Amino acid sequence: MAEPKNVVVVAEQLQGDLQQITQELLGAARGLATKLGVGVTCFLLGDGISQLAEKLVHYGADEVMVADDPSLKEYTTLTYRRGVIAMLEHLGAPPPIVLMGSTTIGRDLAPRIAAHLETGLTADCTELDIGDYEHKGKADPTKTGTFHNVLYAIRPSFGESLKARILGPWKNPQMATTRIGVMQALPPDPSRRGNVEKVAVKFDPEDFRVSVVKTARDVSANVNLTGAKVIVSGGFGLGGPEGFEVVRDLASIFKDSVVGASRRAVDAGWASYAHQVGQTGKTVRPDLYIALGISGAIQHRVGMANAKVIIAVNKDADAAIFKFAHYGIVGDVYQVAPALKKALLAAKLGKAA
Amino acid sequence: MLKIVVFIKQVPDTGSKAGVNPDGTIDRARAKRMLNPFDKFALQKAVELKRGVGAFVTCVTMGPPPATEVLVEAFEHGADMGVLLTDKRLAASDTLATAYALHMVVRHLGDFDLILTGLQTTDGDTAQVGPQIAERLDVPQVTYCEALSISGNVLSARRVVEGGYQNLEARLPALVTVANSATPLEPKRFADVAAVKEFLRHPEEREKRIKTVSLDVIGANPAHAGLVGSPTVVGKTWKLGEIGGSCALFQGESVEREVEHLLAKLASDGHRITELVNG
Repeated sequence: MAEPKNVVVVAEQLQGDLQQITQELLGAARGLATKLGVGVTCFLLGDGISQLAEKLVHYGADEVMVADDPSLKEYTTLTYRRGVIAMLEHLGAPPPIVLMGSTTIGRDLAPRIAAHLETGLTADCTELDIGDYEHKGKADPTKTGTFHNVLYAIRPSFGESLKARILGPWKNPQMATTRIGVMQALPPDPSRRGNVEKVAVKFDPEDFRVSVVKTARDVSANVNLTGAKVIVSGGFGLGGPEGFEVVRDLASIFKDSVVGASRRAVDAGWASYAHQVGQTGKTVRPDLYIALGISGAIQHRVGMANAKVIIAVNKDADAAIFKFAHYGIVGDVYQVAPALKKALLAAKLGKAA
Repeated sequence: MLKIVVFIKQVPDTGSKAGVNPDGTIDRARAKRMLNPFDKFALQKAVELKRGVGAFVTCVTMGPPPATEVLVEAFEHGADMGVLLTDKRLAASDTLATAYALHMVVRHLGDFDLILTGLQTTDGDTAQVGPQIAERLDVPQVTYCEALSISGNVLSARRVVEGGYQNLEARLPALVTVANSATPLEPKRFADVAAVKEFLRHPEEREKRIKTVSLDVIGANPAHAGLVGSPTVVGKTWKLGEIGGSCALFQGESVEREVEHLLAKLASDGHRITELVNG
């Protein structure tokens, strides 16, 4: 087999449903592959999932490698690790780029694969690109040189309000995970055709050191932060868990709304992890974002940067959130939020507020 | 008795205004330092196991000498031993090189049953080092863990996943990264704090409890550590653009008037947010 040149995407499926991150990754991979003049290879792992290969082709894969095995029914780190390594070995040589999602699966699996291959991995990228890189650093002369067509893995550098371009041109594959909801999926093209190849995975007894006892996913109760039109979020400035009553109360007047939370509020146990915006939380793009008692740490800002309208309420006029909110009220959330609710309901009824 | 290793890290305190430049960048020399907030959840789990089923808790950190501060904090919460890995050759380590160095500390320490780490750090935010240590040590891992218990050599853990959770069982030894939805760190106990104060006063005792090690001491290959051992580098960095621009701020009036002005301004800017309201 010739040296693999394709950009590799590791697909994610749960119980036979492709996860949206997969389409996003395929979209990103197509962009990179076009710049490199190569194709896209997608790894698909699971049990009874071979029929998904065609869909992956429609979304941009040129080639799909499928590991369909009862041992891959549920995701576990070590069984999927074995599967991905088997597929990489099947390619014969390291591909230039491997992409995975910044999900609880991708963030669990990608570092293990990277450590196994002793190669570079950049977490939670918000942009990917291809370009040249000249390494001038003298501390390690073996690395000096100019490299062409390398992966630019771009991510926010939290706490420093910077974006950083991470490079690892010295060894393939160059690996990256991408943040949920950031990369653009391509519209499916049913006329696309691609090769599908099955790969047998040989497991080791040690791959079964972890077993799944129970999985509880409540899709109906799922906090759809990434899809909601309105997000009302609470932060540490609420002063306690009871503050989320006010947050929920304001959120309840909107048609398609969810409750969000800053990481400090989640850290304090006032809201569950599923509500967290930013950081390992989610990047959201609602029509309206209302931030109640949120100071506006950089990770939160990155998480909600794409909101169309941002309204902030905070007691501290110097709070960072007012530097990037579009509208703000300096005041006590416990007074402002109920007043805002009342005024919006009144305005909706066409009465004078 | 369980042997537990907890990896902790000292990070810049981004919540404090000290050392934060007006443009939001951090002057690390002036910034306050703190224990990575995520590590507190890992430390709490270790201390719970120690008090519940019995465990010897060793906290390990890597960094310049002031990082000893986080080991002292860990002692105050109930840790039994602290190890500082410090070596100039560790500078500019990426996650792979960091994981290499830290897994060599574990090898140096000997047998272990459980390794606990925070889900991620607030300065790097990658969540990669834990799984990379697990890979190097060839042990199973549970990431995003919010609850755990141990019975015999089986770890039962609840792992956060999108839209829910999973209950897992893993054979020990294993590595667990603890999510920030786990039980928060309990306040320090007076007796622990007093005991730490006491042993810090005695250099011999201090040396017994806090070990400082270098790459040579742990038998690590410098070619795999620091800048030389890192497959990635940070190239260009640039500031995040301002989002949204200037903020229309309402203050100094009655709450009702402020809200009224806000809604009027939204309407005049063409944002029909009442359309998003029920009814």
